Amino acid sequence: MANSDQNRDVFPDDVSIDDDTSVISTRGLEAFGRKVTTTASHLIGPITDPTSHPHYQTAMTEIHKQLQKPTLQRGVFAIARTTPTDLVRSKLSSKEIQSRALAYVPDELLRNIPASSNSYSLFQGFQASFPDFTDDGKKHKRRVSRGRKMLDESPVQPGSPHAVQRLKKDKASMMHQLEMLGVRKNMASSEIREIDNKIANLHGMRKIILDRLANLEKEEAVLEHDIMDVESRLDEAQELADEAESLAMATPNKSEEDLSRTEEGFMSQSIYEKLPAANTPPGKKKPRNHRKKTLPILHEHFEPGTMIRSMRAHQDNITALDFDAPFGLMVSAAMDDSVRVWDLNAGRCIGTLEGHTASVRTLQIEDNFLATGSMDATIKLWDLSKAHYDPQGSQEVDEEDEDLAFVNPNDHAVDPPAGSMADCPLFTLEAHLDEITALHFRGDVLVSGSADKTLRQWDLTKGRCVQTLDVMWAAAQATAMGSSDGPWRQTSRSADGSADFVGALQVFESALACGTADGMVRLWDLRSGQVHRSLVGHTGPVTCLQFDDVHLVTGSLDRSIRIWDLRTGSIFDAYAYDHPITSMMFDTRRIVCAAGEDVVKVYDKVEGRHWDCGAGITEAEKAKSPAIVERVRIRDGYMVEGRQDGVVGVWTC
Amino acid sequence: MTQLPYAVDAETPLNPAELNVLRAQYEKEGEMVGVQTKFNYAWGLVKSNVRADQHLGVMLLSEIFRTSPERRRECLYYLALGNYKLGNYAQARKYNDALLENEPANLQAANLRALIDDKVTKEGLMGVAIISGVAVAAGVIGGVLLRNLGRKR
Repeated sequence: MANSDQNRDVFPDDVSIDDDTSVISTRGLEAFGRKVTTTASHLIGPITDPTSHPHYQTAMTEIHKQLQKPTLQRGVFAIARTTPTDLVRSKLSSKEIQSRALAYVPDELLRNIPASSNSYSLFQGFQASFPDFTDDGKKHKRRVSRGRKMLDESPVQPGSPHAVQRLKKDKASMMHQLEMLGVRKNMASSEIREIDNKIANLHGMRKIILDRLANLEKEEAVLEHDIMDVESRLDEAQELADEAESLAMATPNKSEEDLSRTEEGFMSQSIYEKLPAANTPPGKKKPRNHRKKTLPILHEHFEPGTMIRSMRAHQDNITALDFDAPFGLMVSAAMDDSVRVWDLNAGRCIGTLEGHTASVRTLQIEDNFLATGSMDATIKLWDLSKAHYDPQGSQEVDEEDEDLAFVNPNDHAVDPPAGSMADCPLFTLEAHLDEITALHFRGDVLVSGSADKTLRQWDLTKGRCVQTLDVMWAAAQATAMGSSDGPWRQTSRSADGSADFVGALQVFESALACGTADGMVRLWDLRSGQVHRSLVGHTGPVTCLQFDDVHLVTGSLDRSIRIWDLRTGSIFDAYAYDHPITSMMFDTRRIVCAAGEDVVKVYDKVEGRHWDCGAGITEAEKAKSPAIVERVRIRDGYMVEGRQDGVVGVWTC
Repeated sequence: MTQLPYAVDAETPLNPAELNVLRAQYEKEGEMVGVQTKFNYAWGLVKSNVRADQHLGVMLLSEIFRTSPERRRECLYYLALGNYKLGNYAQARKYNDALLENEPANLQAANLRALIDDKVTKEGLMGVAIISGVAVAAGVIGGVLLRNLGRKR
């Protein structure tokens, strides 16, 4: 109220600040204020009933006349819409202004009001959920009242009007409760819908960020390649600079030499120095290390069971494959006697490893070192870092081909340049008398198992055999010792004799585990050369085996996977599939198996869940039946499987 | 819109414990708060007698209005009611009129409009009375002063 006075003082009558957009029109306010003062001044003199006074009436008619002008009409209307206190607040108190700004709803929104399609109103929701908020609210009371009612029921005469009334009341309250329950039900379902929407939104966001991650990794790869490029150029430049320096060193010497040209020995020396310097730069190219600087993590965020890549690696049954890291190098061997090296990132064959005279049965890759064991009874070691392969360069042309290869695995990959692997072979280990069926190396120790029924331990620094372990002898020893293991006996399942004598082995420092065709898993101590424990359980030949620091997992042609506790030697867990297990590997979370099906069997250790991953699932809709999976490897949720038709699939798991 | 509270409901505050439960619920749900929970808290706040609470309540209601279009119609009424309680009659009328435009037959909204009109005229009359009173007083004092001045001359 003081404000309207104030306003009148602040704005002199002749100044018209036109502000129609504000909640109240100042012009209207002024006019009204003026009229009020006139009325007031008229009233000053004789203090009588204002309405009866002629002056008041003239003033009122004056106002009325002015009110007929539309703008003023609007102004006065605006003022009548609210009260002076409201005006004061909206104009003066900063706190009020602030909160009004926060709670302001723009007019566009006010105009855009869809018809409500909700099954319950917010207020009903409030009422329905309210009893829940107060702990001993209606619910509790209701139960009590029901109990009381049951107690009271007997004394009341069933026919009396009192009882009718009470029953009616009860019915009403129960109806109300029913209604409230309905509302609550609707609330719950609409809340679920809300959450579903949120989940959908989050999924969208996840997809966007996944794309971003993919792009980042792409950029990372490009940058890494550039860095490698620059590094090699830097090396070359450094060598050139060194050469120039040595030349510069030599030239003053020469001028000196010119001065004293008698010393012939000096001159010959400088030539001697120059010759190797001139020869080294082009001749000895440092082996470039293709080790990745960055760790791709994209696959970890894919849906488990997503195919990353599929390629036709060979034309025949895959007999062995391994890879060093997700998106790293993969080596595959097949019945067609070829061994191929692959770049998993690009899905391209880097080259073929030549040397074995028969097909490779087993191989392992670790830190660019590759060991292959073949049916020709030899083991070869290779250094893959010596391959002549540029992961990025000269491939830009092939980009489309690569995409095609991704879509259609039957497309033949671009043939690698011949001789790209010429520098890779390191040495050959020859001592076994029959085909190599299993090998494993760690550090300098390599252990191989052969169909000649022996295991051999090799020293990789010297390249020679340091110990031979005779499995038959160990089995006989165990019988002689009267141990319960019993002598060597062929299991019933391998009656056809197709199973490898040594199915799988793994070495860790002086510990060695090997699984053999008699279904036995033997743990050896390499220092003594003795079997210190035998794990009995499998009823068919053991084909695959892997251990970590606690557990040993074995797979067998008896269709079962057994998980042993290494500390106690007892069985920890076991499960079986429908067909013999040909290959198995585990990482921190999953155990993956090739079990004679067109899919890879995955056991999720964390969730305790079995599921299938592979081409058999994705291609089921297309009514195609992919070949049976023969070999499978997994590292950090990145799974590679090789099939009987030579196709290699890469999956996230 | 089948069920809306009458303005009387807004005048009966919850007890502090109940309001605390609502607040705890609201805070527990954090950023992903559901519409119903938000409304429960906002309505509890609007019912309160503390002006700061009412402000917060209206703010939350306007947030609901902005974010969930399917609740806009209802929210209009609560916004009107909240602003009415705050004494922001211009705002209250704006929202209420918007609602009546959509639902001319809404009883609660009609009731609220009557209430707002009532309040505005009452306070308006009070305002006019006070202004005229002040003016009368000023006039009397002025007159006295003038008379005094006149006497001195």
